[in-house]
Amino acid sequence: MDCKASKGMSDNKQNIIEKLNIADSFTLAMDDEIRRDGLSGSLCGYALELDKTPDITILSQRIEEFSQQFPLATASLQQQGKHFYWCKRETTPQLFYQHHAPEDQSAQAFQKNTIDQLINHKQTRESTAPIEFHLLISPAKVTFFIRWIHPFCDARGADLILKYLCTADKQQRQLFGKPESKPLVNVQLDKYRWWQKIILLLKGKKYVASIDKLKSIQPYANEKAAQQHRHLIKRLSEAETSTIQQLARKHVGLTGTSLYYIGCLMRALEKMNPEHEGDAYCAPYAFNLRKQRAISPLTSNHVCALFAQAPREIVKDREQLFKHLKQQNMDVIRQKLDYAFLPLMWAGSWLSLQEYGKILRLSSSGQERSSFWFSDIGKLDLAKECFPGAEVSAIFHLCQVTSPPALAFLNCIFKGQLTLSYNFVDPLMTAEQIETLHALVVSELLEQSDSA
Amino acid sequence: MKKKLRDFIFQELIFVANPEQFGDEDDLLEAGLDSMGIMRLIMFIEEQYGITLPDTEIEPDNVQTFNALEQWIVRHQKG
Repeated sequence: MDCKASKGMSDNKQNIIEKLNIADSFTLAMDDEIRRDGLSGSLCGYALELDKTPDITILSQRIEEFSQQFPLATASLQQQGKHFYWCKRETTPQLFYQHHAPEDQSAQAFQKNTIDQLINHKQTRESTAPIEFHLLISPAKVTFFIRWIHPFCDARGADLILKYLCTADKQQRQLFGKPESKPLVNVQLDKYRWWQKIILLLKGKKYVASIDKLKSIQPYANEKAAQQHRHLIKRLSEAETSTIQQLARKHVGLTGTSLYYIGCLMRALEKMNPEHEGDAYCAPYAFNLRKQRAISPLTSNHVCALFAQAPREIVKDREQLFKHLKQQNMDVIRQKLDYAFLPLMWAGSWLSLQEYGKILRLSSSGQERSSFWFSDIGKLDLAKECFPGAEVSAIFHLCQVTSPPALAFLNCIFKGQLTLSYNFVDPLMTAEQIETLHALVVSELLEQSDSA
Repeated sequence: MKKKLRDFIFQELIFVANPEQFGDEDDLLEAGLDSMGIMRLIMFIEEQYGITLPDTEIEPDNVQTFNALEQWIVRHQKG
């Protein structure tokens, strides 16, 4: 039983572990929006394909130790007054599950079906475990799947949790919780005096207003009701990945690798659906406030948002598009707009989830602002044989998404291979459409398109 | 100059367990300096030293090590 239900009152302060920070509240508003769309909330996944069944004893011990070192892992998300908190539960939820394939199901189907069930599992926000670990075992394929609800941690945090589980030395594992500090979003916000925060807030509002001048293109049929999240994973060869990295360097330089993926997806969507109405493609993405290679903070969200937007006419011209996206990104950072969302996120955390969600999603004219969601997880550097008793052969990520835009595009590079994860909402999009889209994306990434 | 760069990079951009052991010729890109980090670093340099670093010169040769960064900045201070 959770703290609110057990005590029945909103001022049940003694069970509070931690208040959600402003970036957690941002992702919670998206959780609420996804739930309003009829889906399971802002659940995310991190799947590791293993070469064999791992050492389950060690794995379960480390998960147990993790839950003790980070009590948020077993908390319940509760509203008290205007704000949300992680609260202690009376009963600790189970965090580690094992799933065995039935004899009549192929390894591939078992993996896909189980992950689909886990990411689409509907539960109340209060009863959802912040994080769960699932081991999917079939004779031909073993997958370790981490599922978390976004307010609990961001993708970098999930990566750190994995590194925690892969760290053999107990003393080294303890370091993931140190040094304890305030959330990085608060640390950054505290650097500004009150009047600077107001200037930043106004800058942020102006930035969003400039984005809203162009109506975002919605690539898919949004009149259909969302039913479930689906995913399609595509892995490119090492040679293709190397070519793509060289092309990204050529077109967007050292400072905007992610923009290459965004631009290629925009062009692929435009080629697929040139008749869809709208003025521009618009993709929100987050940048992480953690230092690169830092092993803490592990839990909570430490991100700030940005937009990549390109008018349709520019999207049609490959060279102009990358020039535009790069210039836009540099202008945003030169004008310090990258931090402008911090005071906006603070202000938003005082609103109801419904009000905040609307502001985050809809432009001033009431249209959905995002054409798709995007996240570049980058190169993953898990050491060989670090997973307890097995080697990781491949990795992919998943996330739920609001509908519209009903499409989230996630990419990462592991062992020199680029993995593209298409997350889409059925029936607004179909697997066949995503296959078509993927062919166009690859052609763009490899610069094989006719208008290159 | 290098101390300012080191302080900024190790306090704001990348985590290194022992910053004092990180040499002036050690690879910052290998150590985790990413695209967003490079942008931040360029903004910091431009503000600190009152110079403009052209986008066309944002190349590994200029940002890979502390020595390379220093030489890049000095070239623009002179120019």
